[in-house]
Parts: sequence; structure tokens; C-alpha cells
Amino acid sequence: MNASAWQMLLDGAWTTIWISGVSIAMGVIAGLIIALIRIARIPVVDQILVLYISLARATPLVTLALFIFLSAPTFGLSLNRNVAGILALTLNTTAFNAEIWRSAFRNFSREQREAAMATGMTPWITFRRIMLPQMMITSLPGLINEMSFLIKGSPAIAVIGIVDLTRVTNRISAVTYEPLPPILVACALYMAVIGCLVWLQRIAERRANRLAM
Amino acid sequence: MFEKSTSGPAGSGQPTPEQSALERTAPDDAARSDRIAVSIRHLSKSFDGVEVLRDVDLEVREGDVVTILGSSGSGKSTLLRCINWLERPDSGSIHIGGQRIGVNDAGRPMPVRELAKVRARTGMVFQSFNLWPHLNVLHNVTEAPIHVLGKSKAEAEALARDLLEKVGMSPKADAYPSTLSGGQKQRVAIARALAMQPEVMLFDEPTSALDPELVGEVLAVIKDLSAEGYTMVIVTHEMAFARAVSDQVVFLEKGLIIEQADPETFFTHASTERVRQFLERNEG
Repeated sequence: MNASAWQMLLDGAWTTIWISGVSIAMGVIAGLIIALIRIARIPVVDQILVLYISLARATPLVTLALFIFLSAPTFGLSLNRNVAGILALTLNTTAFNAEIWRSAFRNFSREQREAAMATGMTPWITFRRIMLPQMMITSLPGLINEMSFLIKGSPAIAVIGIVDLTRVTNRISAVTYEPLPPILVACALYMAVIGCLVWLQRIAERRANRLAM
Repeated sequence: MFEKSTSGPAGSGQPTPEQSALERTAPDDAARSDRIAVSIRHLSKSFDGVEVLRDVDLEVREGDVVTILGSSGSGKSTLLRCINWLERPDSGSIHIGGQRIGVNDAGRPMPVRELAKVRARTGMVFQSFNLWPHLNVLHNVTEAPIHVLGKSKAEAEALARDLLEKVGMSPKADAYPSTLSGGQKQRVAIARALAMQPEVMLFDEPTSALDPELVGEVLAVIKDLSAEGYTMVIVTHEMAFARAVSDQVVFLEKGLIIEQADPETFFTHASTERVRQFLERNEG
């Protein structure tokens, strides 16, 4: 592999990282918001969200990315590939994250909530100051698991023409006729990114030990 | 066991009331106020068709300590939890310092913010402590004053340190709840409730989850509070403690108050057979 191949690999890696990163950030927050709306059990809205979650969980990423990219013009939207890719990844991961947040909320200690209410905290202060900090720690293993699924599933966005870390290996081997070296490098780069997430998870677990009453 | 551990205010390193920076204008017995801290009228509550409270009336005067006794399932915890609306009664009314809780002037359920404000006038101590495990001892105590009352961090921490001193937990201010013993957790929980400077303290079986040798340290703290003139409603199984600390003893049986008297009368000349039976079984 020559210098330009390396450059292409790093560019591909960067594309994977930023598109996944943006999708993860939006997906974690949107998942929390959807979980909270579902917990409020607003009629109709709740049914719509349930439908969305089951659809998003049942649709392969490749299909979802294609659908968004190809159907956007029908709705009068011209989506750039990156936006379509981020949208597909976010819609997918949000559904899973919403379920993770919702279970953290539902399993939260009733006693701790009562203690908060007894000191005069409103439900919002209770959520923000007492529940959310603990839910973040208890949900983190599940969320990080979902993040690594998203990163590993991200090559799906190549279907709409985004040159990500996996797609770029194809392009290099099309020139060099040596598919193995770029793929090995790509694997190593994926492992490095996932490794960072696992490391984060360890830190979270150490902090979580304190929560064991 | 009990007499031994609470014989003196210095029992477990407690500051005497004179040392306390938080000492209230404690009305002594002679000058006891006649103002009503808690007023409960015609309170009824059922769970799944079982009547847990039946038309309960109770008044707690400011500065009084009222203990609620009764066998398990008699409704005493439910009664206490209704006072700060953790349990919603089916009918009847509760006033905290003249302010009705749970129902607004229009007769409708209170909006959450308003309810939170009335709740803040009471402090509650739970059987299983219910400390917040993600916060250290100091921050467990400062959390509500900062985020409910809007106190500054410095002000809340100064108050918290005084209260931790009062309950003998200053050395553990930076510790996390998971590292504390049950008795220590409960003393922090008491400081947390006091930090809101409530008009009434509610204790829901504060020593029932403790190892026997840790009961004394918690009872000693509660006894100090009664000496300082705090208004308290206490659900307990500790008979000797109830006798020593109460101004009024209430006995609940199947959701009804069947005996209500000063502790001397209650423990020596109970008028109902059921109470005499209960006391015999719980002797010693």
C-alpha cells in the first residue's frame, strides 16, 4: 500500500467516525426524549412511538438508508448522502436507545423517588438531579453496546454512496489487486474505536459499583 | 439496651442542644404552643378494596411528639405516608400548619409544584433510609436546600455541616452511602430531612431495618430532636422509646384509632383490652 492508500483509509475511518458519532449523540438524546414521552403515556403519541420503535427495530440498516435516500425526493426533499446516512443510523439507534432508557426509568428505585418528593422536589428536579445521573450510569453498558452495534453496522451507509472505512478498502484493492492489507488495517481501526468504547464502559462500571447500596 | 444508649446527650458524640448552631426557639413543656402543626380529619384509604384507614382524626400540636403504635398491617405507615401525600387518601383532609395538602382551594388535585411546596414543610425519614447513592453524605444533605429552596452552595453546606455534626456524622461528610452502616445511613437521612427546616418531622419505623446494636444511636438522635422542641410523628415498634419520648401515643388497629393517650396513661392504664394485650406481647 502506498501513501495515497493510507490517506484514503484514514479518510474512510474519519467518515465512519464522524457520521457514527453524530448519529450516536443524536440517538442517545432522542432515545431519552422518546422514553420520557412514552413514560408519560400520552394517548395516540404513545401508539405512534410504539409503531416507530417496532418498525425501526425490524428494518435492516441498508434498507432503511436506501429508503430514506431514494424516497426523499418524492417528498420534495433533496438530501445530501451524509445527511441521509446520519438520518438512517439515528432512526435505527434511537429506537434501541429508547428501550434502554425506558427500562432504566422503570427500574429506578421507588424509595429514592419518594425520598426526593418528600424533601419537596418536583418531578422534574427529581428526574434531573436524582434519577438521570444514576440512569446514565446504569444504562451505559446497554448504550455502549448499542453504540458499538451502530459502528459495526455503519458500512450499510455505503449503499447510498458514502465512502466509509469499509467501502474504501474496496476502492484500494480495485487499484492494487491486493484486498488483504487494506482490510486488515480497516479491522484494526474498527477495533481501536470499539476499544475506546469498551474502555469508557469500564470506567462507568467502576462508578456504578458505588451505586450498589 | 435503649436506656443505656440514650441516657445522656453525649451518648454517641452528639452535641448537646446548647452547642447546636441550629437550635430552634424550642418551646419548653410549660410554654408549649397550642398551635396545630398537623390536622387530620376523617381520613380514609383503601387498597384493592381493603380498608387500611377508616375515618381517622388526629391533631398534632406544635412541639409535640406523637408516636403511632400498632401491629403490622394496622395502617400506621399508610397514615404517616398520607401526611406528606406519598399515599393519596380516598377521602378526608390533611392540613400542615393550616395549609391543606394534596387538594387546592378549588377542591381539585394540587398541581405538582404546589404539592411539592407543601411537602417541603414536612421532613420524612424512611425505614430503609433511601439515601441517594450517587451523592456523598454532604451532598445528600445539601441537594434539596440548593435545588428546592434555592440556597447558595456555601449556605447549604454550612447548614449541612452543622446538621451532620448534630447527628454525629461529620467525619463521614465525604463518604458515599454504600460505605456506611445502617445506623449511619439513617442518621444522614435524618440530617437530610432536617436540612429543609421542616415544620414537622415524620419517622416511618426508623429503626426497623437496623441491626439491634445500631438502634440506639438512631433513637438517641431522635430523642435529642424532641428535646429541642421539634414536632414529630413517629411510627415505631420501640415501646421503651415511645414511652420516653412521646407527648401523645396513638394506637391503630385495622385502620381505626382505638386508643389515644399520654404515654403514662397509655402504658399503665390502657382502656382497651386489645392495647393491654399488645403491650404484654411487646414487653421487654
